[in-house]
Amino acid sequence: MDVRFDARVTAIFGPSGSGKTTLLDAIAGLREIASGEIEIGGKTLFSSVRKINLAPQRRNLGYVPQEGALFPHLSVRRNILFGSRRVSRGAAAQSMSMEHVLEILEIGHLLDRSVTELSGGESQRVALARAILSRPQLLLFDEPLAALDIGLKEKILPYLARVRDEFAIPMIYVTHNVTEVLTLADWVLVIRSGRLMAQGLPSETLTSSRAIRAMPEEELENVFTVEFIEADKASGRSRARLSSGDEIFVPYVPTPAQRNIQVRVRADDILIATQRPEGISAANILPGTVRNVEMIEDQSLVRVHAGEIFCVRVTAGAITRLALHEGSAVFLIIKTRSFQLL
Amino acid sequence: MILSFDTWQITLFSLAVGLASTVLILPFGITLAWLFARKEWPLKSVVETIVLLPLVMPPVSTGLILLKIFGRRSPLGQWLYNRGFEIVFNWKGVLIAMAVMSFPLLVRSVRTSFGEVNPRLEQIAATLGASPLKIFFVVTVPLAYKGIVAGALLAFSRALGEFGATILLAGNIPGRTQTLSLAIYNFVQVGKDPEAYVLLGITVVLAFVFVWTSEWLLRTEKKV
Repeated sequence: MDVRFDARVTAIFGPSGSGKTTLLDAIAGLREIASGEIEIGGKTLFSSVRKINLAPQRRNLGYVPQEGALFPHLSVRRNILFGSRRVSRGAAAQSMSMEHVLEILEIGHLLDRSVTELSGGESQRVALARAILSRPQLLLFDEPLAALDIGLKEKILPYLARVRDEFAIPMIYVTHNVTEVLTLADWVLVIRSGRLMAQGLPSETLTSSRAIRAMPEEELENVFTVEFIEADKASGRSRARLSSGDEIFVPYVPTPAQRNIQVRVRADDILIATQRPEGISAANILPGTVRNVEMIEDQSLVRVHAGEIFCVRVTAGAITRLALHEGSAVFLIIKTRSFQLL
Repeated sequence: MILSFDTWQITLFSLAVGLASTVLILPFGITLAWLFARKEWPLKSVVETIVLLPLVMPPVSTGLILLKIFGRRSPLGQWLYNRGFEIVFNWKGVLIAMAVMSFPLLVRSVRTSFGEVNPRLEQIAATLGASPLKIFFVVTVPLAYKGIVAGALLAFSRALGEFGATILLAGNIPGRTQTLSLAIYNFVQVGKDPEAYVLLGITVVLAFVFVWTSEWLLRTEKKV
């Protein structure tokens, strides 16, 4: 695999067994690789040709593994401070005081607890604090939320976003979860069986044909930014505006601090109609035009431009019945609740 | 109960030399156990087998080998004798016999414990900047200490019970090299059963305490 990237958060996305963890371990120096080069910020960590192989201790990387891997015989405080003797220079060091990290991750109250008393979400945050406080030049995440249930994932994800925003440490984030990529990453590499299938901006790449070929079973999601208009608590929904000016109804949220919010809708949750439906419960009926129809593996994907480009998954039979082709005029039907806010 | 001076002397001698032999083998046993558990190297399986041999071979065979190595007629024996070290027929011989015979028990127990420490923890410690030495003392050993103590206890009790190798290398000299096991043998040989039974009682009690403690430690060891 030959790849170069330079982003705040780069996601490595692929199914289980695709070699993601192996890649991460190789970057961290925890695994031998036969041949190749690894370079970060102009510094070579590994070169089979030039016989360079920096020990993990010298690579200055923070690693957050899937199961936290906290030291069970040390208290939370001693875990967090384990790597803290390594000091980095510059503004990053200032913002990364222990108090600040504890505050962002909300774990100050856990300091004197034993590691075995922590819940799954708490131990992941402690592992994160430990990695950050070792002042690495790069943070490596190996599916950190994989071992948590959905509710907990949704709770911890904002902490990761906070870490990304507060501290200036670039991140490489390995996952097979689309939501995590869309929420956190600026760039994504799609991997299957140890090979790079696609790379690019998350919102585009994850619905690209090459990515779908790599992860046919995964959820297909459409993600875009909309402008918040107003909230209507009584009817339980809010209004927002797409980049084209079309308006949509999303589930109720109070007016947010920032006007622009991210919404996502699954490709499976959108209906296509060739006539504007009447007397239907869904609040969003968006007129649009079919851009292309594609068969990938055993799925049929229709890309429709309706204020944004929507990727819609339907059966092959539907395509035939509705005679969908490039240029067809259609309506997209989306329930208010199918729009999820990030 | 006949707790004569002789009984005390024999018991204390056995305990002292047994303790010394355990202390002696600890650093080597722990290091070797770690090398077995964590590293691959050429001839590793050969060394593993050699280490286990004293456990399986008849103790007198091991004793004979030791006699050949350390006896005064051997090169090593000569070299040591010239420097004032005589191994055969004194407490040093007892020490060596005990050390060699109990070594495999220590190594096996410690190796198993090291094997149960999650290597991921050591890897994470490395990424956090810990040197291999720091990782060993701050992560690996604290997590494996119960196995180390259990191994040491087993080794110690094995040392106390040593007979075959001891009698060949150190002889059965009362007051000089006579351990509990050798003394029991002696007393039975000359018909002094009551004295033998006293020593028997002591060995049974000691063995019971050590093995029970060792097993308890291994049972309560947390698998991480």
